[in-house]
Amino acid sequence: MASIIKTEDLTKVYNGRVKALDKLNIEIEKGEIYGLLGPNGAGKTTTINLLVTRIYPTSGTAIVNGFDIRKNSLDIRRTIGVVPQDLTTDEDLTGIENLKLVSRFYDVPQAEAEERINRLISMVNLDDAKDRLVRQYSGGMRKRLELIAGLVNDPEILFLDEPTLGLDVTTRNHMWQYVKEIQEKLDVTIILTSHYLEEVDALSDRISIIDHGKVMATGTSEELKSNLRGDVIQVTVKSENDVEKVMAFPESVDSKLTEPNTVRLKVSNSDEELPKLISYINANSIQITKLSVQKPSLDDVFLEITGKDIRKEDPADYRQVMFNMRRLRR
Amino acid sequence: MSGLGPLTSRELKKWYRNPISLFTGLIQPLFWLVLFGSAFSKISDFGPAILDGAPNYITYILGGVLTIIGLFTALFSGVNLIFDRRLGVLGRFLIAPIRRSSIVFAKIFSSSFRILINAAILIAAALIIPNGLKFVHGFTVLDALILVTAVILTSLIFSSIFTTIAVRITRPDTIFGIINLVNLPLLFVSYAMFPPDLMAGWLSDMAKYNPVSWSAETIRTVIINGSLSASQAYHVSVWLGGLAALAAFLLTLTYFVSEKEIRE
Repeated sequence: MASIIKTEDLTKVYNGRVKALDKLNIEIEKGEIYGLLGPNGAGKTTTINLLVTRIYPTSGTAIVNGFDIRKNSLDIRRTIGVVPQDLTTDEDLTGIENLKLVSRFYDVPQAEAEERINRLISMVNLDDAKDRLVRQYSGGMRKRLELIAGLVNDPEILFLDEPTLGLDVTTRNHMWQYVKEIQEKLDVTIILTSHYLEEVDALSDRISIIDHGKVMATGTSEELKSNLRGDVIQVTVKSENDVEKVMAFPESVDSKLTEPNTVRLKVSNSDEELPKLISYINANSIQITKLSVQKPSLDDVFLEITGKDIRKEDPADYRQVMFNMRRLRR
Repeated sequence: MSGLGPLTSRELKKWYRNPISLFTGLIQPLFWLVLFGSAFSKISDFGPAILDGAPNYITYILGGVLTIIGLFTALFSGVNLIFDRRLGVLGRFLIAPIRRSSIVFAKIFSSSFRILINAAILIAAALIIPNGLKFVHGFTVLDALILVTAVILTSLIFSSIFTTIAVRITRPDTIFGIINLVNLPLLFVSYAMFPPDLMAGWLSDMAKYNPVSWSAETIRTVIINGSLSASQAYHVSVWLGGLAALAAFLLTLTYFVSEKEIRE
């Protein structure tokens, strides 16, 4: 597959001091959903802002859809769609007026624009609300409108920056369905940043974890988890005498007694080690009452790589997020 | 400059859809005329000479009020830019493939358009009210063109100054403070309301360099005199030339500043 975005030592330094991105190198393939994961200040939004030519790099560059972000910003903007973190639709206009305004920025011929806008509106179920002022929209409706505002120009690449920030769980799940549907139906490459691991996990084909402006790891969710080499097998034995034997299982990386009769074995890959453990148990005539396997979650991967627990992170610009949430909840 | 058309029509849509702003915009010019015109009507007791030959004070101040209406609307032309920034709408414009300056010029042109509408209403009202506007020496198409040009140039001058100020401002109260600081000096250190002979010498000397005076005097000259004498035509062309040069300079400045400096 050909890469549609390729960054080359992309670097952004703010005010000559704050290094937001430090020689970032990522390659995104055409047609995939690519997730950018990282703690606050890791450089996710800076990466997106650079790729959509909202800001200019300090050094290095990126090729987006064949165009250089340093030289061809207008060409890039024409072929991409962006759904920024903040709300960007005009509350004093109707939903359809907002979309028409955006379509005129991209010189979409009127008939084509109308046809496309109506299709997008139906896709996210806003048909009944399209002629209402955006001010009267609910939070979920507002976010759906933002989502399709990024698609009015029929982009090759869609950038989603925290698309479900501030939404409740149900609305968030709906948004995921819309994003998947968009990717399938419109054949668009999607770059997604998110604070919600489950969101990145559910949507992305590949994920990059970035921290301190650098890529720490890239791969599918499965690859990242298996790289962690940390599946856990819990064995509960019938009698205390067998504990020692289980703990002596030669293939385990680490073993611990967690409860009186329960041993926690850390193995590099449970799919391969579990059959070995079962033969070991049979060979040593150990009597077990319970056997369970725990695969690491993306949370564990994140914690391992960045040293931070993403669930404890606050969103980057707290003031702005609260402001948006207030507007979403009205 | 794609973006200018859709953004300007967005501004105007928001304006005519807000019944209160539309209503106050229509009523305010009348207030100026009726209240100011009545409060200072005794000035005409000094005789027509002090009013440059105008038959009454309303006819005399109309040029000033037209200019002031334009000035006050123009001072606020940057405010919506700050709200667009605060409400996030600006972010959508900045990622679109449009010239950044079109975002700012949309504000300038839409406020100039509103000013023209208000000016038309003001002139109509001045003609209707008793002892109002009188064209004693006629009013030609050329006079009308000169009047409209002066109003447009004044609004371009002040809206480009105030939208340029708003290019990097994030708080509305900042720009309100600046507007409050300059509106009265711009109004009173000018010939918009009072004849130079009634002003203190130093004030009158300063007022000469105020573009508000140039516009007010231009409009006043064509309204009072109809067809202009050679010396009047000379004065009008100097004032209009000054306004045009200043507007051209400020619009160019606005273009470069907004292309380079506008952010969220």
